Amino acid sequence: MASVDAPTQGGFRGWLNKRLPVDSFIRSQLLDYYAPKNFNVWYFFGSLALLVLVMQLFTGIFLAMFYKVGDTTAFDSVEYIMREVDYGWLIRYLHSTGASAFFLVVYLHMYRAFLYGSYKTPRELLWLFGMFIYLALMAEAFMGYVLPWGNMSYWAAQVIINLFSTIPVVGPGLVEWIRGDYGVADATIDRFFALHVVAIPLVLLLLVALHLVALRQTGSNNPDGIEIKEHPGPDGKPIDGIPFHPYYTVKDVFGIGVFLTLFAIVAFFVPTFGNLFMEEANFEPANPLSTPEPIAPSWYFTPYYAILRAVPNQRLGALLLLLAVLAYFFVPWLDRSPVKSVRYRGWLFRGFLALFTVSFLALMWLGMRPATGGYVTAARVFACGYFAFFVLMPWYSRRDRVKPVPNRVSFHA
Amino acid sequence: MTDAAATVNGSEVDQSRRRFLTVATSATAAVGAVFTISPFVASWEPSERARAMGAPVTVDLSKLEVGQMVTYVWRRQPIYIFRRAEQAVQDLAAHDGRLKDPKSLDSEQPPYAKNERRSRRDDIAVLIAVCTHLGCLPKQHFQTGDPVLGTDWPGGFLCPCHGSRFDMAGRVFNGSPASTNLRVPPYSFPAENTLVIGQDEDTAQGAA
Amino acid sequence: MPKTVVVALVLALVMDLAPLGLGVAVAAEAEGAGAPLDWEHWHAGNEVANTASLQRGARNFANYCASCHSLKYLRYSRMASDLKIPTDLLKANLIPAGASPADYYTQTSIAPADAVNWFGKEPPDLSLIARSRGPDRLYRFLKTFYVDPSRPNRTNNLELNNPAMPAVLSALEGVKQAVFKNEESTVDGHTVVTKRFDHFVTLSPGSLSSEEFDGFVRDTVNFLDYAGEPAQVERRSIGVWVVLFLLTFTWMAWLLKKEYWKDVH
Repeated sequence: MASVDAPTQGGFRGWLNKRLPVDSFIRSQLLDYYAPKNFNVWYFFGSLALLVLVMQLFTGIFLAMFYKVGDTTAFDSVEYIMREVDYGWLIRYLHSTGASAFFLVVYLHMYRAFLYGSYKTPRELLWLFGMFIYLALMAEAFMGYVLPWGNMSYWAAQVIINLFSTIPVVGPGLVEWIRGDYGVADATIDRFFALHVVAIPLVLLLLVALHLVALRQTGSNNPDGIEIKEHPGPDGKPIDGIPFHPYYTVKDVFGIGVFLTLFAIVAFFVPTFGNLFMEEANFEPANPLSTPEPIAPSWYFTPYYAILRAVPNQRLGALLLLLAVLAYFFVPWLDRSPVKSVRYRGWLFRGFLALFTVSFLALMWLGMRPATGGYVTAARVFACGYFAFFVLMPWYSRRDRVKPVPNRVSFHA
Repeated sequence: MTDAAATVNGSEVDQSRRRFLTVATSATAAVGAVFTISPFVASWEPSERARAMGAPVTVDLSKLEVGQMVTYVWRRQPIYIFRRAEQAVQDLAAHDGRLKDPKSLDSEQPPYAKNERRSRRDDIAVLIAVCTHLGCLPKQHFQTGDPVLGTDWPGGFLCPCHGSRFDMAGRVFNGSPASTNLRVPPYSFPAENTLVIGQDEDTAQGAA
Repeated sequence: MPKTVVVALVLALVMDLAPLGLGVAVAAEAEGAGAPLDWEHWHAGNEVANTASLQRGARNFANYCASCHSLKYLRYSRMASDLKIPTDLLKANLIPAGASPADYYTQTSIAPADAVNWFGKEPPDLSLIARSRGPDRLYRFLKTFYVDPSRPNRTNNLELNNPAMPAVLSALEGVKQAVFKNEESTVDGHTVVTKRFDHFVTLSPGSLSSEEFDGFVRDTVNFLDYAGEPAQVERRSIGVWVVLFLLTFTWMAWLLKKEYWKDVH
């Protein structure tokens, strides 16, 4: 095989490389790009998120070929896909399972950053791009859920759009502007379709590209939080690094295999996942005169939903929901610890991280329950736990008694 | 591809094992990719709704008079059904020399229509009303000796788009831009006066 | 008059009068004595892969449900193909005269306006009812109709309180009465008395035995489960192959990874 550096490369490859930096791109991004060798299971989720993005784009495009947008046609067209388009049911289930899989993968991907301080210098921008991806993803999922125009679709749109009415002065007018009508209507579903199929995917692709470029610039963090570039070997390459290809291409392929197996089990055997991925109420067409009982958003939104309902004041609740999401943006600057990885942090940080984890999961569960009695009290308690993680971070991250960080990563073959 | 060290930990890197595993895994992935793409490709096939709308069409012929033509739609195509006079059928053999494909050797039709009449029966003609040139709807000119088409015009069709001419069996005349005869759909006669377009011995399953 | 005749006449009178007013606290026979009937945990136990059951369910639906309820997303031909019903049987027994097998399953004979007048609401389309309610709740619904003189159509239902739908299967099931027991409980320091369902009493038998009727309901619910998602059997069978393939692929990818990572220390 001809050496990739040969300036007088023959054949098609030579022709191509003179016009497009194919070989040099492969070399710089895969062969010369060194990643830390101590990646553990938490490091699979980035490539998996990219895989799910591609899957959603592909299945989504095919769904858009058969779906008919509009308040009188959407629900019927989804049943048309499920029953009359050859393998339409499969394409639909892949897309609906993919939506939940996307959030599962993204939440685990984000959690890794908390474990290992991946948002800390010099990776703040990488983290911010990630957070914008998270916001775009939430908008994308919300709009996508409205498109089948089931009863839950309709009422989810109603409730979420109404949140914007809490904005002072512009609120009520803004809500009408978003809907395009006096209530959630045909105009709403039409514009959500255009945003969901074209606009937000383009925004997502752009953000993902920026996210990857920012990653390439700083190099990846690792479970020990050590900057591997600070310890080059005799060949100038990080001594704790390995070329991304073939080591991480091969490892990610394995990760993809495990993920797809679990994904297929869900998509083929339990696509509704006990009412979590596809709610019963959404198999009834949208009915403006009948709110489903109980009403709740999809599981990936319920932590924030629980926080919203924990506050007895509508405006304050909406504000707290917004702050709960925005809090993530500030973490690189709230965290004052000299140490990145939880492995070398003390018990104060570990305690608050555990508090955050438990609170997030508890809020997720509570958001699916009715907003009565003990559930609301519990939601208030866990909302405090959730916010404490962020609000108190400047204090406890500094007070925390850290352990000395070694020079070399810990790696076991 | 990176040059892996020739020895690892003192033992040889088994390149052949690596190559085998890489090829085997890639081949499996390729097979998986083909299986994964196939439902998406299949989804483009006419859906059950299209197949239902493309189901055979039943036509009652009892009111169809000699020289009369009706148009039905089958699988989104216009179908001409007309009853020919005995004379018109007998005259078909007379102008074979003026036709591009008098025996329908190059044209498309089911086996029972590969004859001079291009039909199962002498009297009833069933033709797909799509000009084999560029797809326009040919116009009916059953009157023999038409002033525009010439005194030797035996009756048939004239396509208004580019002037192709077809006889009473849908066969194309010399000098037409079209090269093949009007196509014939599958059809059958379950009863003397009942015609079913889209169903014959080969397409026996009938409804979608 | 002989004693037996008197007893028989009295019993007949009581049976006739029973639907009129013997409602709440009738002392029941041994039927259900002890723990209350646990209807809330009944399961439909249906199997969508059981074609014979689906065929019976299709027949049941056509005879007892289709005059009011449509299955507007299901084509007859699709049902016939999945349930292995030959076209001639389909045309003879399951679809109205003049309908084409390719038509959607709508053969209701009640005008919507009339339905609203008679029942209070239009009978809903049932294509997706098994997905929006679940087979278990449908099973419970069809099996817990009881006589309720206080309602305009004189029936009520344990699963769905005050339904607009009458007890259309009572000719098969028979007519039954619900016996409620008073239950005391303490809420916020006060004693609250609630009516809790205890058991059913059969007032008159139907043409099916209780086992036969149970089978009837299960078959019908099974058919509705099928109608909600006709592709589900195919989905699961393809899924088996897909998961097996992916397990194989993952195992190979694991071996490949282990081989290459021998390089890394």
